[in-house]
Amino acid sequence: MSGTGHTVKSYEEEMQSLNDNLVMMGSLTENQMADAMAAVIKVDKESVDKIVKNDGKINELRSTIDNQITTVLVKRAPMAVDLRITISTMKISHDLERIGDLAKSVAKKVKPLPVDLPDELIGSLRRLGDLVQKQLKDALDAYLNKSKDKAIEIWKKDEQVDDLTNLAMNEVATYLQKDKKNLEMATHLLFVTKNIERAGDHITNIAESLYYLIEGEYLEGARPKGKPIES
Amino acid sequence: MELNNSKIKIKAKNLNVYYGKKQALFDINLDINQKEVTALIGPSGCGKSTFIRCINRMNDVIDICKVEGSVEIDGAEINEKNVDVVTLREKVGMVFQKPNPFPKSIYDNIAYGPIIHGAAENKDQMDNIVETSLKKAALWDEVKDRLNEPGTSLSGGQQQRLCIARALSVNPEVILMDEPCSALDPIATAKIEELIDDLKKSYTIVIVTHSMAQAVRVSQKTGFFHLGKIIEVDSTDKIFKNPANKMTQDYITGRFG
Repeated sequence: MSGTGHTVKSYEEEMQSLNDNLVMMGSLTENQMADAMAAVIKVDKESVDKIVKNDGKINELRSTIDNQITTVLVKRAPMAVDLRITISTMKISHDLERIGDLAKSVAKKVKPLPVDLPDELIGSLRRLGDLVQKQLKDALDAYLNKSKDKAIEIWKKDEQVDDLTNLAMNEVATYLQKDKKNLEMATHLLFVTKNIERAGDHITNIAESLYYLIEGEYLEGARPKGKPIES
Repeated sequence: MELNNSKIKIKAKNLNVYYGKKQALFDINLDINQKEVTALIGPSGCGKSTFIRCINRMNDVIDICKVEGSVEIDGAEINEKNVDVVTLREKVGMVFQKPNPFPKSIYDNIAYGPIIHGAAENKDQMDNIVETSLKKAALWDEVKDRLNEPGTSLSGGQQQRLCIARALSVNPEVILMDEPCSALDPIATAKIEELIDDLKKSYTIVIVTHSMAQAVRVSQKTGFFHLGKIIEVDSTDKIFKNPANKMTQDYITGRFG
């Protein structure tokens, strides 16, 4: 953000370490999301425990970042871009941690699912998962490149996440209507869908924090929302 | 002229200051709003103290100092030949980095200015000025029972408030503060800052400070000086959260200076 380094080297190192930890947290969250989606689509029950366990690493990093930020605030009283980096890192790390939690929740729903999940149920879900993963990857790339335009693009694209969520939920609801015996499975899939959509919302929060970091102003106006589909 | 609903009290226009051949200020243009606190920040030697000394013509006392350009207070040029500097300095009080009470009693420290200006006709009036000034400077309760003790017997923070009370005793309109807290502990600093906040309801305050946090806490407007030039001036909020100039950002974030 600023071409010149801090006069105090240890301050520079603290900010760099904060950045490194956030990037690492982003990378782990991206993997968790990918693993959770793969587990759902393949109904891979064996991978669930590993995904649940890996969430702990993300939580640990968030805790580390929280501590680092408290220290930076006390020691450095950061101003201007440093203040915005500190505030945004705190917010982004909390959003990443929540995305990690949602990925874990998605994975946990795999265990009660039947192994022969009908294709008609996972088409939209897969597309939704792909889109949210793409959004997360783009958000993390945008953070690395400090790209304001990319942040706006991600923020606007959440409308597509909403649309796909509605589509996926509609498909599950239709399937459920066919036979009441599908109730349990359908309920799990509805939760999965909703959790992915919630992860998408946290990604838009990340885009907003990133925009603030770069511009020093908040993204104005209401985010475009997808239209619910009548079933 | 109204700007952001604030009246301009002091207007510096194309102000250039020289100490002999060395130019200390370059073409300064700065508006200072009435009944607000304006903070001036910048590395040592950047000209911020020189600038505030132009507001009450303190630079007149330095032989080699030459001031060009204009400083208006309420629209009137203060550098005109016919301006009485004593009256000007009554209107524009000053508080310095190090508390500098006179080697006199607490009472006499406050009474000194009003005596020179003939502000009181009798003892009762002078008592009243002393009490009011000390109350305005939030010092009365601490010194009311020891007014005859030397001003120098007070703590550093109290001495600085005594100096503020002394400046207030002649009913100024503007108070210039040149790093008023740099010699004070955090509690004494907090008391001065609380006082500045209170005083801005009645006075226009210009404060030079090396503490970025202090500038954020006490001021509404901040100007950043560098090498005798004003680099950026804006609302304090904007300067410290999102300055427009990279040099300002580098300075306040500790990247140079």
